[in-house]
Order: sequence, then C-alpha cells, then structure tokens
Amino acid sequence: MTTLMIIDQAPYGSWSGREALDMALSLSAFDQSVALLFTGSGVNWLRRGQASDAIGQKSVEKNLSAAPLFGIETLLATRKDCERYSLTETDRLPGVTLVDTAAEAIADHDHVLFAG
Amino acid sequence: MSASLSYSLVITAAPWASQAPQSALALAQAIIQGGHRIDRVFLYGDGVHLASSLATPPSDETHWPVEWSRFLAEHDIAGIVCIASALRRGIVNGTEQTRYHLEASNLRAPFEIAGLGEWVESRLQSDRVLYFHGGQS
Repeated sequence: MTTLMIIDQAPYGSWSGREALDMALSLSAFDQSVALLFTGSGVNWLRRGQASDAIGQKSVEKNLSAAPLFGIETLLATRKDCERYSLTETDRLPGVTLVDTAAEAIADHDHVLFAG
Repeated sequence: MSASLSYSLVITAAPWASQAPQSALALAQAIIQGGHRIDRVFLYGDGVHLASSLATPPSDETHWPVEWSRFLAEHDIAGIVCIASALRRGIVNGTEQTRYHLEASNLRAPFEIAGLGEWVESRLQSDRVLYFHGGQS
C-alpha cells in the first residue's frame, strides 16, 4: 500500500503543509510507504536557501532535507509549476523528481492524502 | 444486502470556522444508522478545537463539541485528539496540564489525547478512512 501526500500550498502562510509533512513522517515511522507531491504554489517548499528567520519561522527546507533520513524517499513536483515559479534544478533541493501532471503521480499510488 | 463496514473519520477544520465537524457528524450518524461501525474519530490540525470544553456559543446555535461528545459517548466510539495539534492550540488534558505547568485543562470527555500513531492505526484497521477538511485558506 503506497500513499501520496499532496502539498499544494506555499510554505509559511498556512500551517497545513507542516501538519501534512508530520502525517507523512508518521506514516514513514510506522513503516508505511509514502511519497510527497508538491504542486501549485506548494513547489516553493522545495526552494533552496529559504531565509525563514526573517519572518520568525522555522525553515521547512530543513524539515524536508530530513525526510529521506526518516524514510520518505520520493519527493515529486509538477514540472509546469516549477517553471511557473522559476524553480530550476539549481534552485531546488536535491533528489526531486519532476512529473508532467499531478494525475500521473496520483495514478501511481494506492492512497492520496491532503492535510486540509 | 451489503456487508457491514468499519470507518474512521478525520476532522481537520474547526467548528464555527468550517462546516467540516457538522458534515462529519451527519455522516457518522448515517454510518451508525446504516448498521456500520466507526472505529475512531481523529481530530487533527484546527479540528482539535472540536474537543474544547470551553467553547460557549450563543444558546440558539448548535454546540458542536457537545453534540459530538454526546454522539461518541452514546455509541462508545473513541475520539482521539492529536497531541501535537492540540498542545499548539491550547487543548490540554490533566496530564499535559501537569507536564507543562499550565493554569488549566480543557479537554472535553470522552475525547482523549494521543499521537498520530492512532491515525496510522486507523488506516490499517478501518475499511474506509474519510477526511473532513475546511476550505482552502
């Protein structure tokens, strides 16, 4: 049983993405296979060099970099949204796989989740 | 005749900010009336506000925390509140009040505080897991 967690909102403005990531980490901690899909403005989670100190928040980049250590091995992002937000390969965290459509990623998984 | 199914419900939006707790309760009642089971109701994110014993809406409005806690007690269904979501938002039981030296506790019975492991368990245990989210914010 594989699960896809979809994050479709930019970091920092809403807490739902962080809580989605917590859900994904929790699945992984219980040996459930889980992948993350960043789409829409959610692709901004993957940007390198986030200076979140300036707004008094913890960087989501740091949480995400730790995801592979906790067993989340697949980070997916929709190609057109990366282009829309000028998120080139050098701007992105390493290990992100681009997909042409969210539908393609969804079709590859048994379960799909949003945090809210 | 269709077979009996077991359900878990996950609520991630707060009462009076979203219709999610109300929609979830309507479905929960229909599940029971239909002869099915509910293994667990899991409150996550802003959904934890549903477990507050301090919510005091005007008397001519439906009291969603009261309605939900009555339903859970009547049908002996576990109502679990995610501990990380709850502590951030000031929903606390006696144990957490002591642990963090807080002035009060406000978790409404029969809700209980536990971790995301309960949600993972629901996904493995229940035939269906249904999510009630708020609108995009």
